[in-house]
Amino acid sequence: MIHEFIASWALFHNTYLVGWLIGLLLALVGVLVVARDQIFIGAAVSQASTLGIALALGLGSWTATEALEWLHADAFLSAMAVVFSVLAALLTARGGEDSKESHEAVTGWVFLVSASGAILVVSHSPHGLDEIHRLLSSSIIGATQRDIWTFSALVIVTAMALGASHRRVLLFALDPAMAAAVGMRLKPWALVTSAWLGLAVGLSIRSAGMLYTFGCLVLPALVAKNLCREVRPMFVVAPLVAVCTGAVGFMLANHYDDPPAQMTVALLCLLLTIAWLIRRLRRGRDVG
Amino acid sequence: MSQRAADHEVIVRTAGLRLGYGRRVVLAHVDFQMRQGEFWFFIGPNGEGKTTLLRAMLGMVRPQAGQLWVHPELGNRERIGFVPQRCDINPTLPTTVREFVLLGLVGTHTDRNDEALRLEWALDRVGLGRFEGKDYWSLSGGQRQRALVARALVRRPSVLILDEPTNGLDLAAEAAVLHLLAELNRKEHQTLLFVTHNLAIAARHATHIALFHAGEVVSGPRQEVLNRQTLERIYGVAVEISADQSGAPVVTVCPPEGRP
Repeated sequence: MIHEFIASWALFHNTYLVGWLIGLLLALVGVLVVARDQIFIGAAVSQASTLGIALALGLGSWTATEALEWLHADAFLSAMAVVFSVLAALLTARGGEDSKESHEAVTGWVFLVSASGAILVVSHSPHGLDEIHRLLSSSIIGATQRDIWTFSALVIVTAMALGASHRRVLLFALDPAMAAAVGMRLKPWALVTSAWLGLAVGLSIRSAGMLYTFGCLVLPALVAKNLCREVRPMFVVAPLVAVCTGAVGFMLANHYDDPPAQMTVALLCLLLTIAWLIRRLRRGRDVG
Repeated sequence: MSQRAADHEVIVRTAGLRLGYGRRVVLAHVDFQMRQGEFWFFIGPNGEGKTTLLRAMLGMVRPQAGQLWVHPELGNRERIGFVPQRCDINPTLPTTVREFVLLGLVGTHTDRNDEALRLEWALDRVGLGRFEGKDYWSLSGGQRQRALVARALVRRPSVLILDEPTNGLDLAAEAAVLHLLAELNRKEHQTLLFVTHNLAIAARHATHIALFHAGEVVSGPRQEVLNRQTLERIYGVAVEISADQSGAPVVTVCPPEGRP
């Protein structure tokens, strides 16, 4: 199996590397999402970037002139994905602040508008509908060298930011009231973390699709949460889980000729089930 | 580790302070002075401005009028410890007592050695020295409250601000937390500011009291504030003040028909 995987490297190395880099990036960001108990926000943000791509595809099909060629460019699709996911992240972060509506209600609204809108916008465009179905079902085949550089840069910036201010990040995520009391300005923090979540998810959706993106955002962090005794090591364990599972998932997918994204997410779900069992056993032992 | 402000040095002073949000005035006129080593109680019903004054002292609410002077040492909040009423940490997250308490160091300048020393000192003060590596969620309610106090103490604060920290605790846990705070004040000369609506706790432990009522604050040493005339004027009911076996004042509300 390993030999087959190595043999496929020449053809698919961009795909493998981008898959692992996305896993790394989203696992780091996902620890914050899980720590703040905002898993549903992760789903809504992922879905919103799909709406952005659908709108970009729709605009492309409605304005099929040479002057607007840029509407068909890959960069425009990526930009729309990022813009919509950032907007969704900011909107869901704001929900509930003024007590008029709960976070859950705003998040649910964003999710449903995006899910229905993404299909409606491209429903009369066969190419657009195919593209949205491909995004929803996740296919990471076709990643480029530029994707590798983009995600490498995002991983490095994210890791450096977390390393430089891990305790502030932890306090902001765990106990905002205390964070405000010790002088942290919560609004800029919420703005930056939401924008970063939107950026990471938006770019990942464009390259890897909805399932792989959402899976890597929440599953490695949830596995780490159940294996670790503190939050801080979750920032190491979650990326390790994402990359190792990605490696095994891609190998299995290559061997059995299955889609790699689905294989990796299925493995992560299996790992989470095992992590739940381990935590339950550990608790039983601690109580005993 | 820098030394705190000297004993009896003024650390907060207000003069004609007016506080509120937008056009709404919450506190119309506040005059009070807090010195290092005092044990203050802010007492009053919900919505009377206790938290607003706290937030102003922390720099989170700007005065609408008057003066609010805070010792420069407290200005950047590095030397302020804050114990919230409750801790809203996601209860499914794993965390140890050590990690939880060290979160209190955000905004302070410490190296690893100093961190370890402060952690040991803070946990010893609250009697959780043996629990450093223990799962925070396995602690009892009273122990968690003590961990919250340790998280504030790890900053080596000049002022420890506690916002109704005994709410929801059973009698034994409440007594343990209050005993701990009284010891910190007595032995370490720790300045404490305790927000509560429980007059009985204040009567037993306070050196100074601020009573909040209808936008007004009456403040001063306990014996000056806890007298019949002041309490009857603020609360609008007849009261009697006696002393318990330890000499601490006990406030009793008289029945509507007259004094007992």
